[in-house]
Amino acid sequence: MSKNYYLPQSNEIELFEAAVEMNLPILIKGPTGCGKTRFIESMGEKLGRDVYTVVCHDDLSAADLVGRHLINEEGTYWQDGPLTKAVRNGGICYIDEIIEARKDTTVVLHSLADYRRVLPIDRTGETIEAHPDFMLVVSYNPGYQNVLKGMKPSTKQRFISLSFDYPKPEIEKEVLIKESGIDETTAQKLVDIASEIRQLDDTDIQEAVSTRLLIYAGKLIVKGFDPYQACIHSIVESLSDEKEVLEVLEKLIALHFEKRV
Amino acid sequence: MIHYWLEFEESIGKVWDKYLNKKVDKFHEEQRVYFSDISKSLNLFHRLMGGEKGKDLQITDKRYIQTNRTLLEKISFLGQEFYLTWQDEESLYLPASFAYFPTKEKNEMLYYWLVAMATQVKDNDFKQNQLATDSLTSRYSGFNTFYEYATTYLIQRYKQLSFVKSLDENLINNYPNPLWIYDSPITLYKANNSEDEPQEPTREESKDKTDELQMKKQTKQIDDKHETDGFLAFLPESLMSIFEQVNVDRCEDDSFDEDALYHAEDLDEITIGQKQANLSARIKMDLELLPDTTVIYPLGKGHYIDEWDYLKSDYLVKYVRILPQIMTNVVPIELPLRLKKTVRKIQNELDLLQLNRIKNDHLPYGDEINMDSWIEYCSHQNKSMHHQNFYTTFEKKTRDMSTLILADISLSTEGGITQEVRIIDVIKDSLMVFSEALEKLQDKFAIYTFSSLQNKKVYFNIIKNFKEPYSNLIRGRVEAIKPQYYTRMGSAIRESTKILDKQQSSNKLLLIISDGKPNDEDRYDGRYGIEDTKKALEEAKRKGITPFCITVDMDAKEYLGYLFGRDGYAVVRDGQKLPKVLTDVYINLTK
Repeated sequence: MSKNYYLPQSNEIELFEAAVEMNLPILIKGPTGCGKTRFIESMGEKLGRDVYTVVCHDDLSAADLVGRHLINEEGTYWQDGPLTKAVRNGGICYIDEIIEARKDTTVVLHSLADYRRVLPIDRTGETIEAHPDFMLVVSYNPGYQNVLKGMKPSTKQRFISLSFDYPKPEIEKEVLIKESGIDETTAQKLVDIASEIRQLDDTDIQEAVSTRLLIYAGKLIVKGFDPYQACIHSIVESLSDEKEVLEVLEKLIALHFEKRV
Repeated sequence: MIHYWLEFEESIGKVWDKYLNKKVDKFHEEQRVYFSDISKSLNLFHRLMGGEKGKDLQITDKRYIQTNRTLLEKISFLGQEFYLTWQDEESLYLPASFAYFPTKEKNEMLYYWLVAMATQVKDNDFKQNQLATDSLTSRYSGFNTFYEYATTYLIQRYKQLSFVKSLDENLINNYPNPLWIYDSPITLYKANNSEDEPQEPTREESKDKTDELQMKKQTKQIDDKHETDGFLAFLPESLMSIFEQVNVDRCEDDSFDEDALYHAEDLDEITIGQKQANLSARIKMDLELLPDTTVIYPLGKGHYIDEWDYLKSDYLVKYVRILPQIMTNVVPIELPLRLKKTVRKIQNELDLLQLNRIKNDHLPYGDEINMDSWIEYCSHQNKSMHHQNFYTTFEKKTRDMSTLILADISLSTEGGITQEVRIIDVIKDSLMVFSEALEKLQDKFAIYTFSSLQNKKVYFNIIKNFKEPYSNLIRGRVEAIKPQYYTRMGSAIRESTKILDKQQSSNKLLLIISDGKPNDEDRYDGRYGIEDTKKALEEAKRKGITPFCITVDMDAKEYLGYLFGRDGYAVVRDGQKLPKVLTDVYINLTK
């Protein structure tokens, strides 16, 4: 049995496999906790390739991707970064939240993401040709609008794009049951709650409830936690800090799982 | 004399009224829940339940329904007038308050129930209500419990409601069910074809008064029939008043044929006068006795800029005259007390963000040694050729950001969000709160406001330019802002672009605060205004400026998307939240 459970939402598996065959890089967009990372991990497993994950932040430098010199008793030596490792040995290099990295950092990906498939390393003067099994996958969450950030069009236009959203109710229910082990009725209620919360847009809450949070709620319930309390702690409190929004969300939960007095 | 007599009559009425109501009322007054207290939550809940986003929640007027009543009920008019929940395309109308049940919690629940019902019911008839009830009670165990309780309780008190349980279709018109959504009174009115003029009831519900005054009247049905109901006990002419005479020169009016069309479009949106709901409504006069010392001082004779005419697909060269102005004789003020709390909250948030820590590498001196650059140095064969800059600092104040805030102060901002709060007040508050935040971040910013009177007069008011420090004087200028004229947005954007373009920063943000579409007295309206504004925004973008619009316009989505792009604007539904939202948006945009 595979370690990673993934239930496809639409044609993403076929598309991914086609891209692998053609050596094309992939860009995945989608809100937080909708299964982007899980999808890549399951694909890595399916294809028998290692996944090298890099999570971006605004201090991420090109060296963090490519590699850097380190020091030991004999002097300095070169240490490959996750990207270089994947390029040399083959495997999926998964760059998560690419939008968080500074724009100049992501430029190192350009030569890898087009027909050239090479990685030049300035510091060692080396140019590595990508292993046939190397694949580049990047992801970001389009929900955060930002003046100072955003992907350069020149970076964006080197990828096949896959747009993820929260799974459809039936699929999400199945995922919930499988991941947390709750019964079907409770899973249905959690999915109902999620579909209602997802009606709100970004002026009410920053981002809607993720499948991940629903699984947390499910796990708490399975553990024997009161369903109402489980939802409050795993769903409601994570979504907003505003008093009014919290009150209404609590009310919604109470409609599904009655509050024990 | 008349005055005393009126008061006397009214107080007798009140006493009689109270007596009768006590006798027949089945309400739990102490547990009464008011719509106004929970309206924000209900709006949010309405969206949660999948209700249409543009739909408003409002307070309903009473309606009159013939029922079998006891003698006392008849005398007191009770049992004849009902506040029923109903909806049409635009709004959902809910009663101003509920006191059916003996606990506040249950009365509040009734509101939530009705809001949820309204999202399910389409035709507002018996069948639909029945279906909606079934679907809500089966989906939500919380509603199921409430519904069981509510029906049992209501039938106990109002025997006529037994049809709710028995589902006897013949009886449904016996008595209105507070748990259902009804059709608009106009439709019912027509259906009943009743000629009876509803009598003005003499009931008084003190706390409801403000709510009722605000409530939406059925203009088509009632249409201010009681013109003679109230009369003034003094002569209005005897009040001293000052009229301002304005000479309007219409010779310059553009006489394009489209004008007629544009104005015809507008006619659809003209609202019909509202009638005051209560007998004891009072005349309120606002006399501004304090002399206004502020003087608006023009800066030069103005200059001309271009405007885009989409019909010609070309610029009208030097078509618009920009008149820069500044207010003088302004009284400097401290930050108003009412804003202190919001400002403190925002500043605390900013402290947590640590926005201003920016790392600078490869420096010859600094706070920390950067191991990477040292190792890199070691790895080089020819060390003499390599620089020795091994230090890193975490510098502050290096957010390379210039923000120009452009606020729309056209007359439409006089409009109210609630009875006491006007849009312009919220805009002023936002400008003050926002300035505090920017000051804390030490970002460079300027504030301008604009309004226009056709193409020859586009007033561009300086509140704070980039060079001026933020001070009490600036706050004074913000406080002194007065709404005037129209919104020639494109020209104001072009003028702002010019100013921002001169700034040295690498990131430039043009933040527009508005309450509606671009429009002016001439043909600058509808498509013309929108196309010109779009062109002006394109020009700004080409100069490396990022425009972002924050609007308080509820049904703004369509043209905003067209103008600013999907991620280029934010709609603030609850205008009173604008000060906070503005800052949140800014932080998100620039973090």
